[in-house]
Amino acid sequence: MSKYTLFSAQMKMADIVYHNYLLIPVLGRFGIKYGFRNRTVEEVCRQYNINTWFFLEIVNAYHNRDYFPTEKLRDFSFSDIIAYLVNTHRYFQKVKIPEIQVFIDKLMNSAPEENSKNIKLLDDFFKKYVEEIDLHFSHEEEDVFPYIEQIGQAIDSGNVAEELIERIINEPIEEYERQHDNLEIKLNDLKNLIIKYLPPHDNVELVQKLLTELFRVEIDLNDHSRIEEKVLVPKVKSFEQSILKKSGVSN
Amino acid sequence: MTVIIAVSQVLTRLGIKTFLSVIGIEPEYKELAHLDELDSVIPPGSKSYLIIEQSLLVKPESEYLLNIAKKYSKSKILIIGNRVIKNCPCSHFVLNSDNRQEILEKFQDFFSEKDDTSTVNGAEDILSDRETEVLKEVAKGLANKEIADKLYISINTVITHRKNITEKLGVKTVSALTVYALMNKLITPEEAIK
Repeated sequence: MSKYTLFSAQMKMADIVYHNYLLIPVLGRFGIKYGFRNRTVEEVCRQYNINTWFFLEIVNAYHNRDYFPTEKLRDFSFSDIIAYLVNTHRYFQKVKIPEIQVFIDKLMNSAPEENSKNIKLLDDFFKKYVEEIDLHFSHEEEDVFPYIEQIGQAIDSGNVAEELIERIINEPIEEYERQHDNLEIKLNDLKNLIIKYLPPHDNVELVQKLLTELFRVEIDLNDHSRIEEKVLVPKVKSFEQSILKKSGVSN
Repeated sequence: MTVIIAVSQVLTRLGIKTFLSVIGIEPEYKELAHLDELDSVIPPGSKSYLIIEQSLLVKPESEYLLNIAKKYSKSKILIIGNRVIKNCPCSHFVLNSDNRQEILEKFQDFFSEKDDTSTVNGAEDILSDRETEVLKEVAKGLANKEIADKLYISINTVITHRKNITEKLGVKTVSALTVYALMNKLITPEEAIK
């Protein structure tokens, strides 16, 4: 199997983890626990009441950067993906960010006063970054996702409110892809400040753990953005178009 | 400094402004949804930065651009679109397929003066005295215009310095540059922006 492997419904769930351990947190966000035995992806998904197609869509998009969903695989509901994305937000906020904060606190407390001041600067920087993350997530959860749900309901029911059409015209989903930029640049800055400019800290192991964690979160966050951009947005876009078409706004 | 954004979608315009603020450009903005309003926003003979959405160009695109470039000969033009337009007077293109990093670097290029003397030389990554001066002011929270006035240099020179600073240091946001300046005692905590 190569990195271009596509995971399929008949594959053993255990093989997915053997193949790419970076998918461990993804499985966790689906609420899947270990001890799969030789059950297939489909069997495990059924056991946890997860839409198999949707699960495959997510792990494939995480696993292969160039993966682009086929029409068939896009056949899942918006509530599935939104629930997953909200779970991911909580995972960052409740698990990853506090973990990183613990490392920073430990570094700060174990450094001599002079360097402790420097770490305090990083600490302030990180806290501001977390504020921005929170703001970004709540914008998605309170504004973008409800809009997407409305799009889904309009397609299902065939009833389209006037305001919805207006929003599709003025603020289509396309525009929201661009909002991840600042967050990714900030995280990268934090890594560089530690790697290049923080005066050497005696507890090397702690610094290593913090850096490793920052790299992992960066990958995870980038993949999270990619899921939104490659899986969610294209589907919303096509729904937007068909709503506009049906209401006679465009041809 | 005036930046004219001729882009049909409001949110794309917002996105552009976000990118520019990341690289520290705070100009006077004029926003258009159509190119036929260009005359009303560019005073004759002034130097402006034009950011134009490709789909607003009348075909043939290269000819149309040539006319714009002639008419506003002191202005610089950047096109946002699907592909690079051949045989046209403009060399700055941000493509829809570009990732964040590429977009950022292209905007930095667009606003920096190519003929400025202070370019990054080779692997040298220590800041020059002038760059250190600019960095201090950035970390104190001054806008480009204010830095330019204070150091008696043009805004474009400030932008070029900032581009070189971020390239040399490897950090891009103003808050990270401030952390760097504080760690290296270039400014005091009281001077730093909060």
